[in-house]
Amino acid sequence: MSAKYDVVVIGGGHNGLIHAAYLQKAGKKVLVLERRHVLGGAAVTEEVFPGFKFSVCSYVVSLLRPEIIRDLELPRHGLEILPLDGTFTPMLNGDHLWRVNDHAKTRREIARHSKLDAEAYDEYGKAMADMGRFVKPILSMTPPDPTKLDWKGLQDLLFLGKRFRGLSGEDKYNQIQLMTMSAVDFLDQWFETDVLKATMSASGIIGTFLGVRSPGTAYVLLHHYMGEIDGAFRSWGFARGGTGAISNAIADAAREAGVEIRTQTPIARIQVKGGKAAGVVLENGEEIDARVVSSSVDPRLTFMKMVGEKELPGDFVDDIKRYKFRGSSGKVNLALDALPDFKSIPGAGAHLRGAISISPSVEYMERAYDDAKYGRFSRRPYIDIVIPTLTDPSLAPPGKHVMSCFVQYAPYNLKESDWDKEKENFGDTVVDTIAEHAPNFKSIIKHRQVVTPLDLEREWGLSEGNIFQGELTLEQLFFLRPAPGWAQYRTPIRNLYMCGSATHPGGGIMGANGKNAAFKLLEDWKRGKV
Amino acid sequence: MAEKRDVVVIGAGPNGLTAAAYLAKAGFRPVVLERRDVVGGLAVTEEFAPGFRVSSVLHAAGPFLPAIARDLDLTRHGLSLLQPDVRVFAPAPDGRAILLYGDAAKTARELEKTSPHDAKGYIAFHESLGRIGKVLQPLVTMTPPSIDDPGLGAIWDLLGVGRRFRALPRRDAFRLLRWGPMAVADLVAEFFETELLRAVVAARGIFGAFAGPWSAGTSLGVILQAATDSNAAGPATFVRGGMGALTQALATAARGFGAEIRTGVTVARIATKDGAATGVVLSTGEEIPARAVVSNADPKRTLLGLVDPIDLDPDFIQKIRNFRAMGAVAKVNLALSGLPEFPAAKAVGADAKNVLSGRIHIGPDIDYLERAYDAAKYGDFSPHPYCDVTIPTITDPSLAPAGKHVLSVVAQFAPYKLKGDWKGRREALGDAVVDAIAAYSPGLKGLVTGRQVLTPLDLEETYGATGGHIFHGEPALDQLFTMRPLLNWAQYRTPVRGLYLCGSGTHPGGGVTGAPGFNASREIAKDLKR
Repeated sequence: MSAKYDVVVIGGGHNGLIHAAYLQKAGKKVLVLERRHVLGGAAVTEEVFPGFKFSVCSYVVSLLRPEIIRDLELPRHGLEILPLDGTFTPMLNGDHLWRVNDHAKTRREIARHSKLDAEAYDEYGKAMADMGRFVKPILSMTPPDPTKLDWKGLQDLLFLGKRFRGLSGEDKYNQIQLMTMSAVDFLDQWFETDVLKATMSASGIIGTFLGVRSPGTAYVLLHHYMGEIDGAFRSWGFARGGTGAISNAIADAAREAGVEIRTQTPIARIQVKGGKAAGVVLENGEEIDARVVSSSVDPRLTFMKMVGEKELPGDFVDDIKRYKFRGSSGKVNLALDALPDFKSIPGAGAHLRGAISISPSVEYMERAYDDAKYGRFSRRPYIDIVIPTLTDPSLAPPGKHVMSCFVQYAPYNLKESDWDKEKENFGDTVVDTIAEHAPNFKSIIKHRQVVTPLDLEREWGLSEGNIFQGELTLEQLFFLRPAPGWAQYRTPIRNLYMCGSATHPGGGIMGANGKNAAFKLLEDWKRGKV
Repeated sequence: MAEKRDVVVIGAGPNGLTAAAYLAKAGFRPVVLERRDVVGGLAVTEEFAPGFRVSSVLHAAGPFLPAIARDLDLTRHGLSLLQPDVRVFAPAPDGRAILLYGDAAKTARELEKTSPHDAKGYIAFHESLGRIGKVLQPLVTMTPPSIDDPGLGAIWDLLGVGRRFRALPRRDAFRLLRWGPMAVADLVAEFFETELLRAVVAARGIFGAFAGPWSAGTSLGVILQAATDSNAAGPATFVRGGMGALTQALATAARGFGAEIRTGVTVARIATKDGAATGVVLSTGEEIPARAVVSNADPKRTLLGLVDPIDLDPDFIQKIRNFRAMGAVAKVNLALSGLPEFPAAKAVGADAKNVLSGRIHIGPDIDYLERAYDAAKYGDFSPHPYCDVTIPTITDPSLAPAGKHVLSVVAQFAPYKLKGDWKGRREALGDAVVDAIAAYSPGLKGLVTGRQVLTPLDLEETYGATGGHIFHGEPALDQLFTMRPLLNWAQYRTPVRGLYLCGSGTHPGGGVTGAPGFNASREIAKDLKR
């Protein structure tokens, strides 16, 4: 029989590692088990082609909670965030929209499209920052259960209510709209420039199976707006060395604290004895006992695969079966001999250093969604492109580049085909779409890696390829995430906890899930409930 | 100058008449001003072909609150409701059909023949709606509280709802929270496996809305309807003599209590002094002074069309402009030389007349409904529209010459903002609607002796609904309850003192419940007594 641990954490993604680090720092003996050969889950850097390193899945960072960076001293462990400056949207009519961090410059650029919008842009930025400030404390809060309010839950709700009442009338109005409207309806109230609305609305659909006109997407807009690096709202960046460097820094901090980490250790099942989790059994048959099991993988894997229906209450099983993954995005990673040359701004200028957004109009975005609704990938998808080698040349051989293309929509369920057949067709569609804007594009591609939702499921353990371990829709947020009544990181199995993106506050490299879950577990431990 | 009135009501729709009747009953002497020659607004019966009469726009009166009908003694004034045993008949392209009865158990027995799963699901859905509907019921006749300054009464009312909520079984409580923001396509999939049944129930969520079944938040329509009629099949209640008979009864009741009703008079503007309403000015120049002006017209028409902008804050004007009222409904009325045959009707009942006596649902699957919506997003009407059809002459032969029939169709989607000109495309829309029904009733075209097509533009020009929206504003999450029409302006009052709203653009919204008018009259009476 192997060593006994206080906590065994399933999955070495960023949440699992953060969770482990906090627990170990609080004096628990923690073991992290990762199925793959590399840590990080969907936050990994891999050398896919010799000399070319890719942030294979997640590719930008902004949501990582600053208190986690401080608590775990991540900069000392090698984390360095490089700013990603601006968003460039090429248009097929030869025009473009290029917003940068330099406020005055962006204002002039927007004014070129619409003077009214330039005015509104300032107000919009201010309003969103206010909203972000309102929502921020909610991120680090354990959601109450509204059907059986205890004193603590009531206090939390009252706290929220008070904060809401403390908002100005204008902010209240905006907040309610953000929680309920579609991204486009919301933006329509501020702006008239189509390409501006299209590009801004894109952050409202990322990781969801919704279109920009679908209610609920305004919230995701805010979810992405809340990103902060060094306290500055809405700034996105890369980690030097790729997204995997974030996971490595966290792993380093965890190890320093005393966490034991094992890779290439797939888990067959979670041991349940007398209704209590008691450890895990590896695929090779090894049993690892632990007082507590914390799972950072998604609820389908945790409960359907590792626990098993018969150990769980029927209602809970229904809820987990109903929990919506519906992956809707894919990645295309390219090794390039040279830089793409865009028709609308030729040459290798600063416009390539930020995000390049293929989102020329609201109708384009909506039509991309229409394809997905009926079970096919978008014939002309929304693509969010970054070329990290312009900021961090270490990722490719000298003079060469890596390009990361996040592509939506790529529905997990294809109606008339399957992803094994469509994988390269999908890659071709993405390349063709970009080539319409950058004619030299096809000739500079040296290697291509296509990551379909099916690949995300098979290789990275994300059910149905959902990058957030479950859709960020209102009915799956806060006290409903992942299941009604089970949003407090606990599960119907005693001593089994959840700490991944499928818990409040959802996906993205935020880390709040892992940290909140650690605090909840420690609190239960203190009260003798573990 | 005319004598000063207590109250002048602009518009004699069901809500304006309800408000007038209650105010008259309370001892005030209102005068109701109607632009058209006939009272009723969107609930009106008119002759559209020689000898054929029809409920011109809305054709079902299911949710009209029985309490109001009792208070105003509408039965004595000629109101006679027809409730056929069959609520919905839905044919499928393969010749099969579904029949939903008022009696859920009977429906389940029918469903059992093709899907035991759906029979069980139907009962579960029906019962859950019943329990949820009871919780929501008090909200219908409640004045939504102001968020900034909720009065004691409002808090008391809400606590009552809160208590009912807590008394719900946990499962239903969570359903209520979870369903609100959900896409209705997801909701029906939780209960039913048969595509046709899914489509029939899902259609309730998109009726009258600018949304498809995959739009988030469309489940809300179903839940809210449950507050007035919780039957899973949705309401199917008609009025003998058409909807006009309901508004005629309301008018008679109002007159009986002392209200005066003038038709054929157009209000040109609302007169104000020092920011308070002092009466109305007619297009003839005649001025009618009053202590209170109550508008049954929609919020946009009232506040942007009848009030001098100088009396409103620019910010408020901006928000009312942003109130979404883009209609997507067209009405097609057909005069028929005989009863149309639906071959699929034979699959579910021997008596064709009985089978067709409720609502006939055309829209066989979720994708069909969603595609119908897609067209509207891009500014075109659906080539294959979703149709809610009734043949009122089956239960009320008085509407047509002996042996002849009327077929009344509410068709979606026909966007107010059409690429092109509605006047030039009206007949093409009519053809698409007839074709959609003829697909299930091959002989239909041969029976048509007269046809009336009302586009959203007609609904605006003839019936005065801004954007042709039959509900005076989109029934979306951000435009309901305490946000209808605007956050903190949901108490039927407006920034112009003495000016009130009482139409469907206020809580609880459209659907001929009479509730907005009833609630508004209560607030107005309160203010007048002060």
